[in-house]
Amino acid sequence: MPNIPQPQRQDEPVVTDADLAALLAGTTDAAPGLRPVADVLAALTAEPTGMELAGEAGALAEFRRQAGAQVPAQRPRRSSGLRSRFGVKVGASVTAVAVVLGGGAVAAFANVLPAPIQRLAHEAIGAPIPPARHHSPSHSRTAAPGRSGVHGKPPARGGPGASRQARPHATPTPAAHGNPQSQGKKGNPPGKGNGKGGQGQGNSQGQGNSQGHHGSGQGQGNSQGKGNGQGQQGKAPHGPAQQGNPHKKGPHGSAQANGRPAGHPRRSVHPRPVMDP
Amino acid sequence: MRTSADARTASTVIGEEFADLLAAAQGGSEAAFSRLWRNANPALLRYLRVIAPGADEDIAAETWVHVVRGLASFRGDEQAWRAWLFTTARRRAIDLARHRSRRPETALDYATVAQLPSSADSAEAAMENLSTAAAIALLAGLPRLQAEVILLRVVAGLDTESVARMLRKSPGAVRVAAHRGLRRLAQITADAGVTL
Repeated sequence: MPNIPQPQRQDEPVVTDADLAALLAGTTDAAPGLRPVADVLAALTAEPTGMELAGEAGALAEFRRQAGAQVPAQRPRRSSGLRSRFGVKVGASVTAVAVVLGGGAVAAFANVLPAPIQRLAHEAIGAPIPPARHHSPSHSRTAAPGRSGVHGKPPARGGPGASRQARPHATPTPAAHGNPQSQGKKGNPPGKGNGKGGQGQGNSQGQGNSQGHHGSGQGQGNSQGKGNGQGQQGKAPHGPAQQGNPHKKGPHGSAQANGRPAGHPRRSVHPRPVMDP
Repeated sequence: MRTSADARTASTVIGEEFADLLAAAQGGSEAAFSRLWRNANPALLRYLRVIAPGADEDIAAETWVHVVRGLASFRGDEQAWRAWLFTTARRRAIDLARHRSRRPETALDYATVAQLPSSADSAEAAMENLSTAAAIALLAGLPRLQAEVILLRVVAGLDTESVARMLRKSPGAVRVAAHRGLRRLAQITADAGVTL
């Protein structure tokens, strides 16, 4: 369909875009054809009426309420909120760290961690050493250290680092050693030896050091030897005192027979001769 | 010679005093806030009477509540202030329209005109508003976009770019809509011989 231009009406003034823009901007006098429109726009922007200003009281009341609520309340609320959030975060972090470390320590002392981690835990916090892996079914992983008998090698202490690892635990304590004289005063019945000798376990590490090279267990030999020494101090008959003979468990168990501090490695290699009563 | 357009500009824009007024209002000055309110609220109501007839006062009140709450954090000049104000009002009007479309209201056909609340000066107020009301009625006869663009440009005092941002249109589209609306308004007034 052809675009046929409509003829301009005689009484209609020409309105250009510039006139419209000027009318909208409100800076110049309106063109002759736009004067009615200018009057309409002027009526739109006439002075406000009483009805249009009737809501001022309500707006001012809202402004007064907000202004009164903003000034004193906002800042403390923000700071306390930040403080409480920070406290919660710190508390949660501390709790999480405590749980992780505690769980890790428990797992390490339960000897259930993987071998590399267990070894790290052993070096860091003195957790039990991880058991050595043996491919032979007769030397399974469940074999406890020190209980493996003749073939039971101490997993880590039998190795090159055995003496280094045993050293921190070699310090004897009075409870572990027992007082040989006091044990003797108890008057243990002859022939029984001192059953309490088996309680002297604090020296197991030093014993382990010396036994590790010989491929025997650690703790058992030590406690046995302790019992033997107490029996001697109590003037027990020689025979029953041998119930705790460390030779049953380890070749160096006799090192404890003198009632010496069991963890003393120097004394353990020079056993005193047994005195016959 | 001072034209009607010049008088329009002078009545809608505060000018250089605006920054001080805004700072004082943000500091809690009721007088400053009252001045801002008296300057903007009539234009707001006239705009809302076209885009949300029947709910203009409610929407204006909600708009001012929103503005008062955010007044302390507002930053900008008078153009930004008016854009914020009318944008807030427009959003409220759109929300109300959506709400009404979901929950249509039933007409109060049992209430007669005589039963509606009235005041003693109703007739006087009607006479006072006659020219303004007639102008608003003329604008309401235009297509929605054209009427809104003319109102925002003339009544709110916003420039083309601000109106384009507010309506999410291009400045060219806003300019075209304004010119078409003015031409149509000129045609209506010429055909009807409207005198305000």
